[in-house]
Formats: sequence, structure tokens, C-alpha cells
Amino acid sequence: MIGTPVANTGPRRDPLVGLLAFVGKYGTIVVLLAMIVGFSLAAPQFFPTTSNATNVLSQLALTAIVAGGLTLVLVVGEFDLSIGYQASLAGVLVVGLMANQELPAGAAIAIVLAVAVVIGIVNGLVITKLGVNSMIATLGTGTIIVGVNYWYANGIPIALIGAKADFTEVALGHAILGIPNPIVFMVVILAGLWVLLNQTSIGQHMQAVGGNREAATLSGIRSDRTIIAAFVVAAIFAGVAGMLLASRIGSGQINAGDGYMLDAFAAVFLGSAALRDGQFHIVGTLIGVLTVSVGFNGLAILGEPTFIQFLFKGVMLILAVALSTVARRYARR
Amino acid sequence: MEIRVSEDVSAVGGGVLPLLEVRDISKHFGAIQALSGVSLEIRPGEIHGLVGANGAGKSTLVKTLAGLHQPDAGAVLLDGQPLTIKNPQHAGELGLEFIHQELNLVPKFTGRQNMTLGLSPTRGPGLMDWAKMKAQTDQVARRLDITFSLDVPVEKLSVAERWLVSIGRALVRKARLIAMDEPTASLSGAEADRLFRIIRELAATDVAILYVSHRLDEITALCSRVTVFKDGRNVAAFDRFSMLKADIIRAIVGGEMAIAAAPKPQTTQGVPILEVRGLRREPAVHDVTFEVRAGEVLGLAGLVGAGRTEVARLLFGADKAQGGEMILDGKPYHPRGTHDAVRAGIFLVPEERRSQGLILRESVAFNVALPSWRLMQISPLIPIVSKRKGVRLAASAVESLSIKTESVQTPVAKLSGGNQQKVVMGKWLGRMTRVLILDEPTRGVDVGARAEIHRIIRELADKGIAVIVISSEFQELTDCNRVLVMVDGKIVGELTSGAISEEAILHQCYSHQAAESGR
Repeated sequence: MIGTPVANTGPRRDPLVGLLAFVGKYGTIVVLLAMIVGFSLAAPQFFPTTSNATNVLSQLALTAIVAGGLTLVLVVGEFDLSIGYQASLAGVLVVGLMANQELPAGAAIAIVLAVAVVIGIVNGLVITKLGVNSMIATLGTGTIIVGVNYWYANGIPIALIGAKADFTEVALGHAILGIPNPIVFMVVILAGLWVLLNQTSIGQHMQAVGGNREAATLSGIRSDRTIIAAFVVAAIFAGVAGMLLASRIGSGQINAGDGYMLDAFAAVFLGSAALRDGQFHIVGTLIGVLTVSVGFNGLAILGEPTFIQFLFKGVMLILAVALSTVARRYARR
Repeated sequence: MEIRVSEDVSAVGGGVLPLLEVRDISKHFGAIQALSGVSLEIRPGEIHGLVGANGAGKSTLVKTLAGLHQPDAGAVLLDGQPLTIKNPQHAGELGLEFIHQELNLVPKFTGRQNMTLGLSPTRGPGLMDWAKMKAQTDQVARRLDITFSLDVPVEKLSVAERWLVSIGRALVRKARLIAMDEPTASLSGAEADRLFRIIRELAATDVAILYVSHRLDEITALCSRVTVFKDGRNVAAFDRFSMLKADIIRAIVGGEMAIAAAPKPQTTQGVPILEVRGLRREPAVHDVTFEVRAGEVLGLAGLVGAGRTEVARLLFGADKAQGGEMILDGKPYHPRGTHDAVRAGIFLVPEERRSQGLILRESVAFNVALPSWRLMQISPLIPIVSKRKGVRLAASAVESLSIKTESVQTPVAKLSGGNQQKVVMGKWLGRMTRVLILDEPTRGVDVGARAEIHRIIRELADKGIAVIVISSEFQELTDCNRVLVMVDGKIVGELTSGAISEEAILHQCYSHQAAESGR
């Protein structure tokens, strides 16, 4: 693949350096596989089963969708702290438009997606044209989104009732081969994002802008538009995840999607430590989501208390990223 | 080339022990001999001018005195005692202070905080002693006749005021010698005059000033002596009585400058591709008019800060012009961004290849394809790109520019400087080029690659492309069909092929300053 740095081209190398390079590149994957093996041995009747795998995957699907979109924003070298709030708003809005405004599901979904596009464009414009640091800009827009959300819903959860309850089928159904729909959504979206990032001109421009914005601009690439596009994509998939979540829980709740922000960031950074030299990429993001979710699931099956699960997640994130950074640094010597 | 020294300098003002003496200092960087045996002495209370063309060794000497470089040979003497200046901190302890063009102030700190930076007065358990800071800085402010507030962040001050803060910092640190690099580069005439008055007053209190500048009118008005550097040697020294601008120029240029009757421009061999009229973008570009023709290599010469890079950025749409017009192939050309320039076939190989030209962690193929991904879509309507086309494009660039790389998938960070530069040039190779602008194309490139780059430039021109080469090494411009000389944001002269020489270019750079210095 063009743009993938050749990791090691030295003719002869110290075995330790080789090991460190291996850890830097595959560390996260090794940890993931080790957890799968470990949990399978520890809880052979519960962990390595089809039903548990399906359960884990449909649990992580929504996080993966948010994280996939977020990956593009990080690829162009920016941050988006508003995605969690975007997901929450999408959930409230899609349910509200059906329940309060009596719109059919298709129209409600279309409106939510349009709102997402607008949010993405606003984020991108504030950052590129006004020159506001993306951290601050999206903290601001995120807070505004929370405000809009309260204004629309008055802070009260909106329930899907009557015929509208069919909407829950979107997330709870098994349209293809009995696979839960969220998993199908995740696979299709991540595949699409992978193609977008690696096989399209806009994807190449995103990688160029993230690699060196000035060099990209001086190559005739419209860096501002490229960055805006990344925020729009992230907003769309935050919206999609938010709607799926509303469909799954059968109601629109003001804070439902907020947690996706931290989970998505954790996954994307965890993934950046895998396979490529600290670069953000879609496959890495998927590995990141899997690592966190499998760990959570395994610990829950083993009956570990909730606080352990959170400790695990925090330690995991720091350890994986630090380990691969350090390993890569030494491997270069 | 040795130039006659107008007067035996050691005789002038003899008896005063030099504050600082530089004896036979040499310094090389790799294959480049930056200084070969320069000598210089500065007395207390003297304003000593240091002049020379780009790359003559002025900044290397200044950096050596600042403790940033260690000389290969030679000695530095302070008060007659030889010593080693270990690092910038040590230079400061010795009373040597350096004010660079960028000024190195902390923008958010006040004038007082900046003046006392690094030696902030404290009392008790590390608490800031604001009263003492105020007392120290007030004293300096009186000496410098500072009337603006020292209690606002320096980012709110004008450039001239920041210069005074920087000088104030040197005084707070009890400077005995202050070296200043192009102090008037961004000052107005009145501001510069005020600065000169302060410099003279400082000198009257026995502070020595090393004044580095391209502006000879300032040098002759201000300095009691001037040393001229050329190619890493001091080739001449003048004192106040022998200091004539024409002589200084002659020393900088190196040799008698035959003022030949301006040769007639050659009959145009190509059609004008790009015409530029009255192009303006303050503060660097005031009024630039020229044209570039198909098949010619046009050199753009000038001293650092003349505005050449800024002109290139305007042509390429990287900055927006504030006035003037550009005509490309007979049609108005007003790029709104680099994308417009690229679409029109005007390309730039920027000055800083690592930070502006390349994405270092990415491969040769990725970098070469950078401007062209849209052209590599499998169809204009489907944005999916064919990576094979990218690889093929890169392979042909590697082939035709003889780029030495293991493969097109190698990260460009692993290539040598010359090969990296060729990759940057390769970005535009596959494109329909009308005008190619190369800003310092051979900076930091070894001799072999340099010759190859020159050959490639000529080949491109032979294909009918209009090539504009910006270079601070004027020797490099002698192969051009024409050379335009820029001074202070204007084109002041044009040399055509027979008349182009390093000396002629330098002569134009310096002799046209008089008209500009009154601004």
C-alpha cells in the first residue's frame, strides 16, 4: 500500500531490536489474542462461544462506528470532542421527530443525517476559517449541541411508542443471515471508511494534510476542504451510531451517546499503536475497539467488579500506546 | 580575492585595548568552509559594522561569538585574554549579548518580564520580587528613553518597541557588547532613526555594538568602522574616514565592477507565458513587474529579505496579492489558492523541502503523487484512485530524475537531501507545466546532485516550460537566460545572458539600496 512506511529495512539486526520492532508493530494485537486465549481458558463454557462473540460484537459495533469516523479527524491532525454529544443529539432527534413531529422513520433519519452534515461543516469551518484550535472549537460546538438537545427535548427522555416502536427493529433485528444488524452496519461502515481513507483521492489528501499540512497546501491540495470533509464524515457516523443506540434502547435520551467520545478516542489511539508507526488507520481502530471490548467482556464474565473493568481500560490504553512508542523508539536505534 | 585595506586600521584609535578580538578563526560545516581565518577587533564604545553577501560568513561568526559554534582554529580574546565561549549562557556571563531578527522575546510576557528573563529577581522562598524587577527595568528604560509601557505583553508592542525591549534585556544583563542582526529590517524610517540615536548613546557609554546589516547607508552613517566578509574571509576594513559606499560595494562584490553599458535584452526567443504587473503584498512585495517566457530560465536574485520567496508565493496562489495583476497565456490569472495555480499549470518547489515540500514519513510514491491524486481516479466521477498509476508516476520520476532510492515505497525521510529535492521536483513532472518556480533548489544539496538539478532545470526549459529560479547563491544564477534583481520588494534591475555574473548581481543588490533607504 502506498504510504506505508517500510518498518525495518536494515540488513542485519540485533535480535532484541527485532523483538522491540515486533512489539511496536504487533503489541496491541498480541495483547488482544492473549486476552482471547486467556479468557477462553479461564471461562471455557462462557467466553469462547458464538453467542458471547455475537454479544461482544454487537456491543462494540456502535463504538466502532463512532471511532471509525473519528479516525479520519485524527488522520487530518485534528480533534473532535463533540462526537459523543452529536450521537446523543442524533438519538434524541430521530426519536423526537417520529414521536413528536409524527414524521415517518425515513424522513426522521434523513433530517438527522442532514443535521450531522451541518454540524460537521460548522466544526470544520470554525477550525479552518476562524483558526480556532480543534480541541476548543469542538468543546464549544459540543456544548452548544448539548444545549440544543435540552432545548429540543426539555431534558426529558422521549419514548418510542405504538407503531413507531418498529424503529427498534433497526438495531435489534437480524436482517442478514441472522447476524445482529449493528454488526452488519459496523462491517459495512468500516469497510467503506477503509476504502475512503486508502483508495480515494480525498483519503490520500486527508493523509497528506495530516502528514504535513503546509506541504499538502503547497501541492495544490485544498487543505481546508479536506479537514472539513473529515469532520463531516465523523459527524455522519456519530449520528448513525446515535440513531442505532436510540433504536436499541427504544427511546431518545439526552446523555445516551456521551460516553462514546472517550471510548472512541481510546480505541483510535490504541489502534494507532498497531501495525503502523503511530498513525491512525481504520484497521487499527477496529483492533482498538476489539481490545477494549474483549477485555471488558472477559472481566465481566469472570465476575470481576465494575471498578476493575475501568482500571483495566485505563491501564490498557496507556500501556499499549506507551509500550509501542517505547519499543519503536528503541528499535530505531 | 584580497582587496586593498583603505587604511591601516590598527593605527586608528590605537592605545585603546580592544574589548573583543577575533584572531584567524576558521569553521567548516561538512564540506563547506564557512570561515577561513577571519580576524576582527571591536573596541569599547565602538559601533562596528559587519557586511557581506549571503553566505559570506557573517552569521557563522556571530554564532561563534554567541557560543553556538566552536571554531576549528583561531582564538577569541576578551580584554586581551584568550578564552573559549562554551555556550550561549557563558557568552551572556561574559557580557556578550545577541539580538537576532526574530528577537526571541516571550510574546505573552511584559516588557519587564522579558528584560529580566532568566534572572528574574526573587526574594524569600522563590517569590518574585516585583519591586526589584521594576527598579532594574526602570533604570534601563531611562537609559533607552523608553516611553511606552513596559507592563503590557510585548506582543502588543510595535517591532521597534520590541527592539528596545531586546536591547533593554541586554543592558539588564550588563552587556559589554551587543551584536545586532539586521535591526532595521522591519522598521520605518523614523523608527530606524530613533534606534540609531539610541545605539549611538549606548556606544557613548562604552557599550560596543556589532552591527550586521545589508543596508550600507546605515552602515556608513552609523558605524565607526566596518569589516567586509566575502566567502568566509575578511577582505576589507574601513574606518569612518575612508568609508565610501562604492568602496564597500566593491569589496563585497569582490573586484572592480565594470559598469558595462547595459546590454540590450536579447530578442525574445519565446512567447511570454506569465506577465506580472505591479504585484503588491505588504510588507514584503511593493511593486513587482516582469514577464517570463516559454523556454527561458529566469533567475530571481536578491539579498535575504528582498521579497523573492514572497513573490513566488503570490504567483503560486499560496498568498493573495493586495494589488497588481497577473496574466497567464494572455488571460487574467488571479489564483484564489494553490489549487488554482496547480490547475493553471503554475507550480512551486518551495524553499524548505522538508517542512514545505515533503511528507517525510510517507513514501516516494505518495509524495510524487501528492498533487495528482485526482488525476489518478479510475474515472473522473468515481473518486477511487488507482495506486498502480501512482506507483507508475513515481517510477517514471525516479527514472527521469535519476532519484536514488531503494524503491518507490521507501519513506522520503531516508533519502539524501539532493534526492529529496528531486522528489519535490518530481511532484510536478507528470503535469502539464506552464511555469515552474524553484525556490532555492540546491540549498543543502551536494555538488553532484546540484549539477544534476541544474541540468534538469535546463531540460525543462528546453521543453518550453518557463522556469523561475530563486537563489541566494548568485553563482548558481549565471546559467540563467535572464536575471531579475530584487531589493526591498521591488525589481531594481535586469541582467541578460551575456552580462550575468555573480559580481554584477551583487553590485545591483547593493547599489540600488540608496533609493530605498529613505522609506
